[in-house]
Parts: sequence; structure tokens; C-alpha cells
Amino acid sequence: MKILVANRGEIACRVMHTLRELGIASVAVCTRPDADAPHVWLADETVDLGEHDQYLNIDTIIGAAQSSGATAIHPGYGFLAESARFARACREADITFIGPSPETMEQLGDKRAAHVIAEKVGVPTVPGARDINTLDEARSASAHIGYPLLLKAAGGGGGKGMRLVSDAAEMESAFAGARHEAQSAFGDVRLLIEKYIHPARHIEVQILGDGKRVIALGERECSLQRRYQKVIEESPSPGITQATRDALRDAAVRIATVAGYANAGTVEFLVGPDGQFYFLEVNTRLQVEHPVTEMLTGIDLVQEQIRIARGEPLSDPPTARGHAIEARLYAEDPYNGYLPQSGGVLMLEWPSHPCVRIDTGIREGDRVHPFYDPLLAKLVAWGNTRKQATRRLRAGLLASVVLGIKTNQSFLLDILDSEFFAQGETFTSTLSGRQWTEPPPPDCLDEIVAKASTRTPAMSAGAGDVHSPWQSLGRFRMSQ
Amino acid sequence: MSWVIIERGGKRSRFAVVCTPRGVWVGWPGRGDLISGVDNHTNIAHRHDDVRAPMTGRVITVAAKGGARVAKGDLLVVLEAMKMEYRLTAPHDGIVEAVHCAEGELVDLGASLVTLTQSK
Repeated sequence: MKILVANRGEIACRVMHTLRELGIASVAVCTRPDADAPHVWLADETVDLGEHDQYLNIDTIIGAAQSSGATAIHPGYGFLAESARFARACREADITFIGPSPETMEQLGDKRAAHVIAEKVGVPTVPGARDINTLDEARSASAHIGYPLLLKAAGGGGGKGMRLVSDAAEMESAFAGARHEAQSAFGDVRLLIEKYIHPARHIEVQILGDGKRVIALGERECSLQRRYQKVIEESPSPGITQATRDALRDAAVRIATVAGYANAGTVEFLVGPDGQFYFLEVNTRLQVEHPVTEMLTGIDLVQEQIRIARGEPLSDPPTARGHAIEARLYAEDPYNGYLPQSGGVLMLEWPSHPCVRIDTGIREGDRVHPFYDPLLAKLVAWGNTRKQATRRLRAGLLASVVLGIKTNQSFLLDILDSEFFAQGETFTSTLSGRQWTEPPPPDCLDEIVAKASTRTPAMSAGAGDVHSPWQSLGRFRMSQ
Repeated sequence: MSWVIIERGGKRSRFAVVCTPRGVWVGWPGRGDLISGVDNHTNIAHRHDDVRAPMTGRVITVAAKGGARVAKGDLLVVLEAMKMEYRLTAPHDGIVEAVHCAEGELVDLGASLVTLTQSK
């Protein structure tokens, strides 16, 4: 068996570790800016795709699988992971797509179809309107549902193509922005509108299905978000009762079972202040935060995905133990509108602790390109209790060193140290509703800089120039 | 990579440092930052009337037209990086003196995108 990993960054690296463990040959794909990326070095062989946007090119990826003799493709998350067209193209090329069938993806990956299924099995959904194609449609639906509301892309998730609209005056520019992002991220301009539940927790259930049976592996709370992108995820959720937990699992299993779900997936819910929950969507793929569940259960979800794709039946769900928390280290400036940062990674150190897992796709000396997701690494800590997991994650973040590019490292620490986090008062609006200030530098900063300047020879402009990522691209093109 | 040791009151602390042409990157527990030099648009010494790129990215829309009168808050340019859209609007009322970017162009952090004159 040979598997092509149609992705890059930390998730491609993570999948390749499991392939190596299982003794399965791996094929990496890479674009020009990624020619020397870590996932390329972890793979047994690599196929060059060309320009930076080729991770989204179905024909190129299928061609890469055929030319390398791969019999299956793992899509990771993002890129083509939720494309039913891609899953169908794999099937037509007689390649196993490691994920649900294209029929399931169309049924559940499309929010509209998924909501119809949820309602059919008695799972409540957030009041809203679908198939919004024009500004007039958006306006009249909004008047009916009432503000505040959310505009979302019908074709995907991850916060791309999503806007909070507080009142009618904001609709025009929000509509234009969401539509453009929906087109560029998913190639699909359809939008939908939802009532804004406030304050809400975002809680999701990890499921595995083999086409006959579906099991739930527990929930993850992912309420702490910025720009609708998750920052901290944990399990179990600190904010729900056991009754709500059981009801969420049951609802997730009901939805996935009726869809005949086969492979790993995640059913997302919003939980209101009264404990009432609403089905949001099904992510028909591995999630960024899947390690949280792996740390709690000891299960390897990628291995389970491969087993299911091979037609093997599900094993019984393992018992979850303790508490796990993940922090996403992003290349962004949390004190300046979370602006994404690109540049060279000049120094990099990770902590070493038996209960802290680091999933990353960068090494010292790499460049972080502006074309791709700003996620640098995920730090996931396990503890017997939430408090212990928090302390371990905090220690892991304190010991991490990333120089050469701004990150949200101190922002993550501020969250872990906050009173609201300690109390489990985590809602989707918590982070944006707070003023975050840059921590002061150490007292002896002048002395550090003076010592550094005399001791360390300044790097040459060629190696250390973090001004322009385009320059490195230029050099690369010339050497082709 | 290298480290410097600082002694204060008998206590030794270790700091990660990397020197670059733009300044010194210093790492202390939980944080790293570029200390001297220029690292983002807030400290770039810029001409008063220039609207600059707050991040490295691709210009996806140029709404500003040379010679046009704009009001504070009017859309000038839309940038995209890492699938995130950033809308640059006019910081004040004025006239677009020049547009320095084109749709599809890749621009660096701090690049001047539009020159705007202050209305009198």
C-alpha cells in the first residue's frame, strides 16, 4: 500500500508519522515555495505540483497519485479535504479517498443538506435562511430573522467567508466581503444567514463511522476563537452538564448514522447559555484539533481513518481519561488585529515533556509563506485534571522559542493565565470582547541587545533578510 | 542561534538572541520580539499621505482611482494573505494623488499602495 498525502504543513507531517509507523509508503506533494518543506523530508517520495496554489488542483493531485503509484490519498484538512468533487475524481481514477464517500460529503458537507438531515432526526438547528445569492435576498431574510446575525459561506468552514452583521446598515459591505472570501476559499459564492446565539459555546463531537455503525469519541470545546478561527480547544468541555454531554453525543451519532457515515468526522454544535444546543455543521474530515481527542483516548485517528478506508470494522470506543487542552501557535500579531505574519524562522525550540505533544510543520531556517495558513504549531497538553493540563500547556508555551516572526505565543499564555479561563467561562465572544495588551519586555532589555550586538555577528542580508518572502521565490524560480 | 547570559543581583538569566539587519530578535520565556529597527507598519517612518500595506500579501481589489475625491472610510485597496482579506480604507478625506499597486500584484509589508492628499 502506498498513500499520497494531499496537504502540507503540520497536518501532512502528522499523517506521514502514522504512515511510517504502519509501514505504509508515503508520497508527498509540494509546490515551489514548499520544495524544501518538512513534509517533503518525512515522505518516502515527492511529486512537485508547480505554483503555490496547486494544492487545490484536483487534476494535478490525481496525476501525482497515478504517476507515483499511490493507491490511496489522505487529504488532511483544508485544501481539497471537503471537496466531494475531489473524492469523486479519486473514485473515478480507482484511488481510495481516505474520508467519507462523495455522496456523504455532498449530503453533510453542504450546510443546507446537513440541516435538513438534522431536522429529520430531531436535532435542533439555529434559525436562519439558506441560498442567499443577492444582497436583496440577504436583506429580506435578515429582516425576517432579526439582527444580530451571521453571514456564512455555504460551501465550507473554518471561519472563511463569515461575517457578523450587527444591523441592516452593515449588510452591504459584509455581503460583498463574505461573497468574495467564499469564492476564493471554496470556489462557491453561495451564502447562508444564521441567528447569532449569545453568549454561546462552540462544542463539537468527534465521530467515527464504518458505514454501518457510528461511535462518538467525546466532545471538544472550541469556544475561544478570534476572527472565527479557533485558538484554544479542550476536552471535556468545562461548561456543560453530563446530561448535555450525553445528548450532544447522541445527536451527533443520530445525524451521522442516518447519513451512513464512513470515516472520521466532526459534528459541530452551538450551545446557548441555557444549555440548549443547535446543530451547526458536519466537518467531513480530520479536524485541526483532533489531537485533543487522541490525547484523551490514546487512539490514533489517522490510523482509524486508514482502517475504515480499507473496509475494516470499527473497534469499540476507548474510555476517555483526564483532560486535554490544545493551543494553536499562529504566525500573527495578536496586538495588531491578528495580522498574519510571514518571514524566516531564525530560531526555534520546542519543550520536551511526556504529556505535551507538539504538532508542527516548521523547522529553524524555514520561511513562513503568505500563501498558506498561519498555523505554525499545535501544543497539546494532557493532565489528570483541567488544572494540571493547563499548567503543563503553560509550561510548554513558556519553554517554546520562536524568533524571526511574530507569533501569538504570549497571547495564548495570557488566555491560560486569565480568570475567565480558570473558571471555564469560555464563549465564542470571549476573546474579541477583551482588550489584549502586549506584555512588557524584560527590564534588562538594553543589556541583552548590547551584549547580543557585540557577540553575535550580524547575519548577512541574504540569509537573514526577512523583509521580502518574494525575494526567495525569485531566486527559486531562477534556479529551476 | 545564540544565547546571552545576564546577571542581576546574583541571578543569572538566559535569553535567546538573533541579530538581523533590521534589529535584534530577543526571546524571553513565553515571548519573542524584534527589538530595534523596523518590524511592522506602526513604526515604519512613512510619508504622511501614503497608505501602506499592513502585511505582505496579494492585492485583490484596487478601488482607488487616481484623481478621485474620497471620504474618510472609503475603500481604497483590498489585500489578501493566508486566505484572509484586509480592507484598507481612507484614513481621512482627500484626493487620490497616485495609485502604486495593481490587482493581482504581490506587495511587501510597508509598501506604499496609495498616495492620498489631505483635503483643505
